[in-house]
Amino acid sequence: MNAIFKRELRSYFSSPIGYVCIAILAALYGFFYFMVMAYGSSSYIPSVVYNTMFSFSMLVIPIITMRSMTDDQKNKTDQILLTAPVGVTAIVLGKFLACFVVFFGASTFGLLPAVAMSAFSSPSWGEVLGNYIGTLLYGGAMISIGVFISSLTVSQIIAAIGTFAVSVLLMFIDNLASSINNAAAAAVVDWISFSNRYNVFTRGLFSVPSLVFFLSVMAVFIFLTARRLESRRWS
Amino acid sequence: MVEVRNLTKRYGANLAVDQVSFTIEEGSIVGFLGPNGAGKSTTMNIITGYLSASEGSVTVSGKNTLDEPNEVKKLIGYLPEQPPLYLDMTVKEYLDFVYDLKKAGQPKKQHIEEICQLVKIDNVYGRLIGNLSKGYKQRVGIAQALIGNPPVLILDEPTVGLDPKQIIEIRTLIKNLGRNHTVILSSHILPEVQAVCERIIVINNGRLVADGATDTLAHDLSQDHRLILRAEGPEREMLHAMEALEKVKEVHSLGEKEPGAYEFSVETQPDQDVRRDLFALMVRNGWPMLALKNTDLTLEDLFLQLTSSDAAAAGKGE
Repeated sequence: MNAIFKRELRSYFSSPIGYVCIAILAALYGFFYFMVMAYGSSSYIPSVVYNTMFSFSMLVIPIITMRSMTDDQKNKTDQILLTAPVGVTAIVLGKFLACFVVFFGASTFGLLPAVAMSAFSSPSWGEVLGNYIGTLLYGGAMISIGVFISSLTVSQIIAAIGTFAVSVLLMFIDNLASSINNAAAAAVVDWISFSNRYNVFTRGLFSVPSLVFFLSVMAVFIFLTARRLESRRWS
Repeated sequence: MVEVRNLTKRYGANLAVDQVSFTIEEGSIVGFLGPNGAGKSTTMNIITGYLSASEGSVTVSGKNTLDEPNEVKKLIGYLPEQPPLYLDMTVKEYLDFVYDLKKAGQPKKQHIEEICQLVKIDNVYGRLIGNLSKGYKQRVGIAQALIGNPPVLILDEPTVGLDPKQIIEIRTLIKNLGRNHTVILSSHILPEVQAVCERIIVINNGRLVADGATDTLAHDLSQDHRLILRAEGPEREMLHAMEALEKVKEVHSLGEKEPGAYEFSVETQPDQDVRRDLFALMVRNGWPMLALKNTDLTLEDLFLQLTSSDAAAAGKGE
């Protein structure tokens, strides 16, 4: 797993893709923090920075994950992974972690302006860190879904669009819940809703159920991707 | 070392490999021969654990691929048809990665250096794999299979894309590796298999159609056993003398090939060696024997015969 993780992570930075993803997110974080400064109060950080950055993060994640499983299938390099003494779960985990570290790096850059700001102001760190952790958890769950979708196809474009479609669906699933008449169905949709889980963190609260929820989503999709990889041997 | 039993692989309704069984002893070099699409690569992919068999079992060194997949994978070095190379890595990075991936136990730097010298890629060590020529990529692929020094090497068309000099080098390398490895290699280049392998397994339409030592396979499978003899002497007398021999079934004269020398086609009884009797006869009569050769099928004839559809049907009956 370690070898795969290191190789994947390196591949993000031997092509422009890793730099571009991190640079775009870091620049946007910088820009929205600048807006906060223009408004003149650090209390705008959650609403101005994280509220918008959430959408941009969801745009960047499909680009990070789209090549994770597709490239190996296309270049036949999956043959070396699957014939090496490593389990399929370890392969998927290595790839997932590499994607996550890229996203983690980009999101962590987003904390720098808040650190700089704290020199002459006192931003609410509870809210900033809550948003940061929420972004990482929601992002991690989306990355696991993205990795899974990329294992379904050999085309990077299809993987990216598919992941993007799922993240858009998840963004609007709340609106769906409120328009469903059936209480049971609405409850299910409400329970699935990533945003509800995420919103807890944005208020600067730490929620163990939400943490468990996001970690479970990651575990489920890593498991599914591993099954998908395994199933290819039988087709 | 490698035992394959009743291996079958179905792709939907298509039968890619059909009830293939063979055993390969430790330290032998075995050639997999067959036309394109015969099931060579599929069989190799199943042995290495890349694909799963629909039926049948593969055991390597007593370990079943389904029960202990990771243990079996440790024993096998595999060069697939298309070398599994990451084009965005340098040769060094790639081999380091493979070393870590296989969790090889040897001292890392020394082990990789040795392999690079063995396959002669030390001069491209720091270059990006994507920028290498096909021959060098192929060698990096072989190097990758050698990492961890696995006892079994499975090489799918190892000399494809190499120039003639490299082909000879790689063949020599494989022969040398065969001294302390079990090697299975596939090819559709017949002289290559003949030059390198001790044993040949011929696969056609997913079925095993022939299996035997390289030297005797052609002889054993030849339908008729005929010798061509050229000797100097009177045509008719020689003909009758030979026909009188016990083990000889039929003799035809092929006419005068050199001044005073005639050529005969001598058909023998099955499983009888008549060469010594012929020699003694010629000596007794003072007819100088100028040539004696058997007309066993060449590997080429054999290959064509086995892989034509009639022979495939005949092989089924075995």
